[in-house]
Amino acid sequence: MKQKHPLKKLILFIALELLALFGVVWFFDPFYQYHAPFGSGKAVLYDRDNQVVGTVRNFSYDSVLMGSSVAENFDTGYLDDRYACESIKIIKASGSVADLLYYLDMAHEKQTLKNVFWCLDLFALDASPTPTVFDGDSPPAYLRTETLFDDIPYIYNKEILFEKIPLQLDYARQGKNTGGNAYNWAEGKIFSAARAKQAYIKPKTNKAPKDFTEEKNNLEENLALLTQEIAAHPEISYRFILPPYSLLWWDCAYTGGELGKNFYLLEQTLPALLAFDNVELYSFQADQEIVCNLDNYMDMIHYSPEISQYMFEQLGGETYRVTKENYTDKIAEMRNLAKEITEHDIYKYYEMPPSDNNA
Amino acid sequence: MLFNSVVYITIFQPIVIGGFYLLQKFRNPVWAKVFLFGMSLLFYGYYNASYVGILIASLLLNYGCSALLEKTDAAKTRGLVSCLGILGNLGILFYFKYFNFFIDNCNFLLHTHISVEKIALPLGISFFTFQQISYIVERYRKNAACRSFLDYACFITFFPQLIAGPIVMYDEWLPQLDNWRERNKTADDFYRGAALFILGLAKKVLLADCLAVLVNQEFKSISYLDMPTAWITILFYMLELYFDFSGYCDMARGIGKMMGFTLPVNFRSPLTALSVRDFWRRWHITLSRFLTQYIYIPLGGNRRGLIRQCFNIFIVFLASGFWHGANWTFVVWGLLHGSAMIAETLFARMKTPVKPDTAARKNAAGIFMETIRRFATGVFITLSFSIFRSDSLKDAALLWKKLSAGGCSGKVLRLRDTLRFPENYVLTGIVEKYFPQHVDALFLFYLLFLPGCGFFFIRGMTAEEWIEKRGRTTAGAFLLATLFVWCFISLSQVSVFLYFNF
Repeated sequence: MKQKHPLKKLILFIALELLALFGVVWFFDPFYQYHAPFGSGKAVLYDRDNQVVGTVRNFSYDSVLMGSSVAENFDTGYLDDRYACESIKIIKASGSVADLLYYLDMAHEKQTLKNVFWCLDLFALDASPTPTVFDGDSPPAYLRTETLFDDIPYIYNKEILFEKIPLQLDYARQGKNTGGNAYNWAEGKIFSAARAKQAYIKPKTNKAPKDFTEEKNNLEENLALLTQEIAAHPEISYRFILPPYSLLWWDCAYTGGELGKNFYLLEQTLPALLAFDNVELYSFQADQEIVCNLDNYMDMIHYSPEISQYMFEQLGGETYRVTKENYTDKIAEMRNLAKEITEHDIYKYYEMPPSDNNA
Repeated sequence: MLFNSVVYITIFQPIVIGGFYLLQKFRNPVWAKVFLFGMSLLFYGYYNASYVGILIASLLLNYGCSALLEKTDAAKTRGLVSCLGILGNLGILFYFKYFNFFIDNCNFLLHTHISVEKIALPLGISFFTFQQISYIVERYRKNAACRSFLDYACFITFFPQLIAGPIVMYDEWLPQLDNWRERNKTADDFYRGAALFILGLAKKVLLADCLAVLVNQEFKSISYLDMPTAWITILFYMLELYFDFSGYCDMARGIGKMMGFTLPVNFRSPLTALSVRDFWRRWHITLSRFLTQYIYIPLGGNRRGLIRQCFNIFIVFLASGFWHGANWTFVVWGLLHGSAMIAETLFARMKTPVKPDTAARKNAAGIFMETIRRFATGVFITLSFSIFRSDSLKDAALLWKKLSAGGCSGKVLRLRDTLRFPENYVLTGIVEKYFPQHVDALFLFYLLFLPGCGFFFIRGMTAEEWIEKRGRTTAGAFLLATLFVWCFISLSQVSVFLYFNF
């Protein structure tokens, strides 16, 4: 029936539809901004930039696994069983100390932590000591804040409604990216020497060793942040894992004149962390079998889930443990491996330059 | 500020409409006018406050001319002041819009290496400059009264039409400002305005922005297009431009209506035109009106013989080309349209009757001829606007080469990434997973669906006709509410309006 002005109805319909949408997004909450999954629902975690904040804020846990993308394929279910804990992953693409500490501070506010498992990237140690989470949209500001008032881009967003919620339901049904496999990206990826080599074109000439004064300052500040964190929480066990980067990464550092810097980072960081009783440190960087076998990798640094699992299984053992007593030996071991990589092992995969042949 | 933004819809619009209504309750209308002027400046300077300074300088220049014209009746002085005013406006326009273009061309022609900093183009400068030129001319002709600065500023900066038109004449807007007590419109008018705003928003957000994904992608890589993709791209662009600009104009008119103002119609189903002349009666009507009134008629219009008329048409379309932008693509586009108009003038048979001949419509031959004419006009318009969209004449030439190259490299099937939208995410996912053999068919369907929707709306009723016939029912209100909410949830990635650049 034609009416003179169904203005009230228009306003009512708009209000009802907006309310219904709010209800749907609040209920499914794919970024876990408002609540953890209801009942026995599984959390589906596949988007670190948008979901980490919500999980840190709203999930129930007593342990965290932190790191960059190299930590995403760890199965935290294993940690939960082994250490009788309930863990979540905190992932930031750069793995920078300041960014991860931003999330860790948030975790301290929300939960009482027992364990911190930190997959510590060497390249994160000289990254900017200022958090980058406030720059750009990673994560967006409306996810970082706890107020509802700036959540319009989340609640009223067709990507959330038409893509993220269906994806969440589909992944939950398949059991994909659930439980300990949060943020696991290994499915469909190829780990092979051929694939890894695509990520690295070996330069024909080597650069002179670089000056790294600025990086030294960054390291100093990052170490200060790390040690403050550890000192402030003596009740928490911190287990740092130095992941194994492929020989490509080491060769890249060598040809780029950054090998000296990397060893400087190690020499400064290891004793600083090992000064605390509540710290355990494990280094996998000198494992020649892993590092020099490119079939374990998909690029210079990303190793297969099997390697991730192997590293977890070695936690608590002595093989990879770095202590106050042996850290200088471990660094020396790493130096030897770097030398062997750059002089011999890299040429299993790349042609030796003519000058070296002549030599 | 953009109409299609969360901040506009949730904050600016409620405040400006509510505030304007409330302030009109005061006996003195000045508060409502000050509020309107202030909010319009806020709207204009939201992304770049420095633009506000340019706008105010332009307002002061023109108002100063108007005040000087008020003080003298001497024809020479009036002529001098008007000329200076018009030159001042054109000077501002030239500096901000054409100076870099001018220098580039000087460097090219004279082999010089003059370098100047890139001058940022203030939003909508062509629109408010033309509007003010028309005011100066009418002041000179003594057709317009000298109003208070506040009235004048409200007229020029009235935010719904400030950035992308329609180009409003002083005599169709200022009297409405005077009747501020009578403007206390009914809820029915408000509803019509809201409905028009929603339909305009839907044109922009749900149609133009979806079409734009493919257009932007393919115009970036013209050299990789094959013939079918090139034709699809220019067809999508034509539809995008129409829905983008007419959507903006519907929104502007809708906001105006909600505030009690009527803005002129800018589009009347232009893509159903029977000829180029007919097209210009339907497309960007207020620009055509301006050019006719202030260039074509003063040059003599059709009163000085056929040759002079053709020359006048040529000048009008040359001006139209330049008005649209500082690039030879716009000039060539204008000249193409001018040439078509001249051809139609010379071959009078091609002239379109204002209303299609109803007798002719009755027989099949008439319908067939009409369809042929619509199609031919559509092809011409689409081809000419492909030059308009190209970054350079070189790109346009390459695009036209692709359009006529023949052959098919299968590129059409690679357009699929530009056809993925949140709305079809689930369907696409299901087909890709369970019926992978039908994926190509699905994307071909999407490829047809978008322009199909476009043609459906082009051939159907105008937004206002729909509101009158169907929009004022409960079902109509529900549909409008759903469209609004659909648009609202699409605003997370906001795109600007194409005509902001002109």
